Amino acid sequence: MSEKVRAKVKDLLDSGRIKGFLGLRQADGHLGPHLFTDGRELDALAVGDLKRPGDTRYPLNKQLLTLMRCDPDDSFGVLVRGCDERGLKTLITWNQVDPAKVVAVGIACPPELAAACECLKPYPDEFVDGGKVEGSTFASVATVDALDLHSRLTHWLHEFSKCVKCYGCRDICPMCFCKECSLEQEDLIHTGDLPPENPIFHLTRAVHMAGRCIDCGLCNEACPADIPLRTLYKKVAEIIAQEFDYRPGYVEPGEKPPLNILGEAPEH
Amino acid sequence: MTTKRVAVMKELLSFTGIEPDRLRLEWVSAAEGPKFAQAISEFTSRIKTLGPSRLKVAA
Repeated sequence: MSEKVRAKVKDLLDSGRIKGFLGLRQADGHLGPHLFTDGRELDALAVGDLKRPGDTRYPLNKQLLTLMRCDPDDSFGVLVRGCDERGLKTLITWNQVDPAKVVAVGIACPPELAAACECLKPYPDEFVDGGKVEGSTFASVATVDALDLHSRLTHWLHEFSKCVKCYGCRDICPMCFCKECSLEQEDLIHTGDLPPENPIFHLTRAVHMAGRCIDCGLCNEACPADIPLRTLYKKVAEIIAQEFDYRPGYVEPGEKPPLNILGEAPEH
Repeated sequence: MTTKRVAVMKELLSFTGIEPDRLRLEWVSAAEGPKFAQAISEFTSRIKTLGPSRLKVAA
């Protein structure tokens, strides 16, 4: 963990610009989210293993949302990587976060992590530590695209059949802020089935990710059945980018997603 | 809005291995009986050509 981040956070806290800083902390052998409110406790600030995804990242935006809903009057700081920043921008777009009340402290990801995540932009617009690494392409999407229709269905039915319906993908998703979730509506999806109605359950979630998924990949990491959810949502993001020239998190906050406004119809 | 959603849905269906032709969007007013009949006939014959969905067979 760099001294630069610590110094920046200490500055923000001591000056009173923020009431607390949402970061990660090493405690009892585990890495977890922690709200730092005192510049003196910052020694415990941690960022996890930088070589691979896993404990490195945490849906801090999700905690931030809860925090801001409980305490809407105060300002908070939050640790952001490229993905978290995309999430933050999108949450602002969807009117879930007041940009005036958030101070993002950015760190850029090392090459190993960027490659493992197939991240298009493994760094925030502004960062206090780390170096800019080139983004990677969506190799996993191309692999499925190369299959014929029959093999694609076989592939996905097999993957989706592993689902234990833990809702982990939804619960960890920083973009899932709805109070009522379609995945739990009996009228839309049979409840009580295991695996959940295949492929409706996962396609429903995929459609909801259209214009929203910022490709952080936390769903993939959280999935106990190793379903390649990220590949599915990456494809959704690719469709939205191709059809509407819109990529959530890469556009300025406030620019509404194509499926939320009338706008231009697709050209074909 | 529906045009947009259907366009996205067709591509998503194709990616997951479901024939995109199984989804069709058509605007027909209540006064356009013949148009409705024609659209449905075309659609059912297309579906018959495609045959039963593998999802149905699997279930």
